[in-house]
Amino acid sequence: MAKQLAFHFDSSACGDCKACQVACQDKNSLPPQMMWRRVFQYGGGNWSPENDIPGLFRASGVFSYSVSTACMHCQDPICLKVCPAEAISKRDDGVVLIDQSKCVGCRYCEWACPYGAPVFDETRGVMTKCTFCEDLLAQGQNPACVDACPVRALAFGELDKLRKQYGNVDAVEPLPSDEYTHPSIVITPNRHSQLSGTGTGTIQNLPEEV
Amino acid sequence: MSEKNFIKKALTDTVLTRRSFLKWSAALGGTAALAGGLKFGLKAAQAAAQAPDSGQWIPVACWHNCGGRCLNVALVKDGVVVRQKTDDTHPDSPDFHQQRGCARGRSQRHHVFGADRIKYPMKRKNWAPGGGNKELRGVDEWVRISWDEALNDIASELKRIKETYGNKSLFLPQFASSRLLSAYGGATASYGVTSDGSWLQVQSQMASNLYTPNDRLDYRKSKLVVLWASNPIWSSGGSPTYNYLQAKKAGAKFIFVDPFLNDSTQVLADEWIPVRPSTDTALLLGMAYHMIANNLHDQAFLDQYTLGFDAAHMPSGADPKENFKDYVLGTYDNTPKTPEWASEICGTPPDVIRSFAQEIATTKPMVFQSSSSVARISFGQQFCQAFLTVGWMTGNVGIPGGAVTHSYHSGASYGGAPLVTPGGNGLPAVINPLFPGGGAYGGYGFAAPEKPGSYAMAFEEMWDAVLNGEYTAMQGLKSEAKANGKIPCDLRLMYFIRASSGANALNQSAGIPKGIKAFRKVDFVVTSDIVLSTVSKYADIVLPATTPWEQDLGGFLTGNPEMILWYNQVTEPLYEARTGQWIETELAKRLGIDPNTIYPISMEQQAFNSLVGAKVIKEDGSGYEPLVTITTDDIKALGVNGKPQQGRISFQDLKTKGVYQVKRYPGDPYGFISGQAFRNDPVANPLKTASGKLEIHCQALSDKIAAYGLSTVPPVAQYRKPVEGYEDTFADWDKKIKGDYPFQLVTIHYGRRSHSVFDNIGQLRRAFPQELMMNALDAKALGIQSDDTVLVSSRWGKVVRHVYVSDRVVPGVVLLGEGAWAEMDESLGIDKAGATNTLNGTHPTGQGEEPWNSCNVQVVKWTGAPLEYDYKWPHRVPIHDSTDVRSDEWHLEPDIITPLKGA
Repeated sequence: MAKQLAFHFDSSACGDCKACQVACQDKNSLPPQMMWRRVFQYGGGNWSPENDIPGLFRASGVFSYSVSTACMHCQDPICLKVCPAEAISKRDDGVVLIDQSKCVGCRYCEWACPYGAPVFDETRGVMTKCTFCEDLLAQGQNPACVDACPVRALAFGELDKLRKQYGNVDAVEPLPSDEYTHPSIVITPNRHSQLSGTGTGTIQNLPEEV
Repeated sequence: MSEKNFIKKALTDTVLTRRSFLKWSAALGGTAALAGGLKFGLKAAQAAAQAPDSGQWIPVACWHNCGGRCLNVALVKDGVVVRQKTDDTHPDSPDFHQQRGCARGRSQRHHVFGADRIKYPMKRKNWAPGGGNKELRGVDEWVRISWDEALNDIASELKRIKETYGNKSLFLPQFASSRLLSAYGGATASYGVTSDGSWLQVQSQMASNLYTPNDRLDYRKSKLVVLWASNPIWSSGGSPTYNYLQAKKAGAKFIFVDPFLNDSTQVLADEWIPVRPSTDTALLLGMAYHMIANNLHDQAFLDQYTLGFDAAHMPSGADPKENFKDYVLGTYDNTPKTPEWASEICGTPPDVIRSFAQEIATTKPMVFQSSSSVARISFGQQFCQAFLTVGWMTGNVGIPGGAVTHSYHSGASYGGAPLVTPGGNGLPAVINPLFPGGGAYGGYGFAAPEKPGSYAMAFEEMWDAVLNGEYTAMQGLKSEAKANGKIPCDLRLMYFIRASSGANALNQSAGIPKGIKAFRKVDFVVTSDIVLSTVSKYADIVLPATTPWEQDLGGFLTGNPEMILWYNQVTEPLYEARTGQWIETELAKRLGIDPNTIYPISMEQQAFNSLVGAKVIKEDGSGYEPLVTITTDDIKALGVNGKPQQGRISFQDLKTKGVYQVKRYPGDPYGFISGQAFRNDPVANPLKTASGKLEIHCQALSDKIAAYGLSTVPPVAQYRKPVEGYEDTFADWDKKIKGDYPFQLVTIHYGRRSHSVFDNIGQLRRAFPQELMMNALDAKALGIQSDDTVLVSSRWGKVVRHVYVSDRVVPGVVLLGEGAWAEMDESLGIDKAGATNTLNGTHPTGQGEEPWNSCNVQVVKWTGAPLEYDYKWPHRVPIHDSTDVRSDEWHLEPDIITPLKGA
């Protein structure tokens, strides 16, 4: 493969404002029930009562951080493997796309993807997902989410270059291990970030949010 | 934009669009109706969105009172907006940053072009002059009426009530004036403070102007930044968090003090000091005790620049025993305000109070910064007094990298005078004869309670005034008061005609259930609105208002001091929407008032005047010069009166870019250190306080607050138990036995909305679900899990919400976002939307601040059917008619909200 496009996400700067998520919905004319980019919040900690003063509790290790996720345009995209209609392809630049004209709406890809990236469009009966704003890329522009971020926590580029610049972290809680699909994501961890599989916290979103 | 071309375009658009459009024009009575504005359905927006590759990017207004101010740019195709973006007008850098917007601004097109826009004038089916069946307000059917019928009915009711009961029976809730009513003899008004809490009088009396922060770039010189009760991600959208991040990257440590480990802490906080709501004064006093006991305070600074800290430095005439230090040490009241004393109240462990105090006293330079929210409690002046006092004890005043400051909203992370400003619009000042000192905007921060003739009550007293026929007399009106100190009143008409939307007073002032009763008592309620917000839902006549996206010439918007925004028209007024100016002009004609006396200048000329008068700082910082170059061609094209002028940017460039931003760099001539001249020479540069110094003991403050007649405040910071604070959650304080309402509810700014604006947007409902936030230990004790539906009850009202359980919330505290549109289940008396003011009680104190930050509540698991997720609720569409081509863009079921099934 000549190159692999990837997102860089700086979790140390992300304040969970969801401008990226909404910018994505806006750019792609998605209704509220469809989100191609979602911001997960992860957190935990403890409170324990102190005996000498009634009603007094002490916080220990309370934390939260956020992870903005979309399709990871994986190096080993499992969605592509499971699609019975051969509707999913990976381009030379690594971008994974769904051809809606071939999609039969079986939702296997949604079931298989560890990131929940493919989203079913109920009105058209087909799968959809992040296209890396390939139409904007073709015009020399950035993906909508990247230009939206008020704290400049999102960027994109070639995976190898991003890894050299920002390191090799690609799996923090609540994301799954990278071993399944080798996601094309480079994460600058938050100071509270926990690597996938080592988490002590929980997802801090209500089901309706994500 | 040419209206004719637009119509032509619309008619030659897709078949679907054309059919929709023709339905509209037929319904409006043919082409004659078209002259007043364009009407098309949401299908047009959908059709256009499917091919958004053409079209034109136009800078548009993002005009809300959100605490940010950012560049919003819309991709306009065939008169509808198919996409949005934000600032990309220059390369981005931390010094010269783009003005990037938030999730709310990026949803603006759904707000303007929403299926729930008010399309035409409407009246309540069972309304009749005098009120008709008043009990049906809020539940009645809506009936479409013509503009003529609406205007005639409104004018007739204004006239009837004025002539029968007098001007004082006309009422402006959360408003001080309207141009029309002021010309019509005036109206009873209201005053108070919403955003700023109790800060305004405290900061002006104790500190004069010395409470503002230093310049944005100067934050990077700080070693420590304390952000008290601050969550800029939600409360100051746009750039402030990014600006603070630069200070952090430059080495500053950030400490957050809050009952909630809020989202901004993820970006910034090195340490979190948890504290119970409404008890921050106790925490500050405990810190002061530690500083005094260990001689950590900056005595030399206090001696030279302040008055009232200790007995040796008191203002002349003051009782020496009233000094702050002796209060903290408990010299006269035998209660030393030790960290242990504080901890019992504020819930912060004593060792944490000590280490926090140690750190702020020994780290220089430090920014000691508070938001307003923490001062939104009854008797809230005490917090502001204590915050300034403890800050001043560290000496971080008038120095680079330091500040003792109240900073929030679009000013957060910015200090100093604006570098670029708009000109005035040229309209004469509006003076309400019954509230001459009230100003133009809501009586906000009204500062002259001694002034005679101010027929106005605190926001917190509005509904009681309607229901009980009396309100508290300010000092200037004492001679007209009854023996009980109250002014009698007979309020019969509520007037909510405004520029577009906002001022949703029923939703945005404490005591919604009481407010609904008040709405159902008066003779008449009229609003202009773009959606059926809460005031409009409970009104008799609702008029369709335009948004700034529909305004002819556009205009300026201001926010942070480094830039100014210009917005353009996107479309002709939608449906039958009209501007507030047009509505008041038409009413004036019907009331025998010459419209030229209230609006002598067209809206186009007003916008032009603000262009002509716009100023920008000179490049060397030595003064200001005109901002906009205006040519004779511009003037001709705009059809306004004026002369050409030379400025920094051409009008055409300003329209195209939508922003003028002053380029900043470290060492530029625009820096600002708050209070530097005073610090350098306090004798030559005295403050405008009574003594010229910073007043820790401030008699002027006590006198001023007393003049409002609502409560008193001692001249130095002292802890006084707030109403519905932590203490009131107990049935027996000494034995620590909780009462019927064991939790403290905090009303927070929330990501979904700008106050109550944007509550109707599906994608924001999804992103921000209006969840009740609760500590995990409390939830466990109540058998509650995340996503459960819970019933929250206060002494004043009830709501149901989904609960979010997290360790990020202090035990005993629950939080809920302000501004949800109250959705009352009439049979159960429960608000399903979770408007915080359904729960918040009315407790008028101080200068009329709203005590939103501590309300006692009970939480139980809801045993009825679970609440449907908000984003699946239908739009609040007042009338579904056959010509309505509204989109079902995001909701699944077009039915009305189904009633909750009780347990």
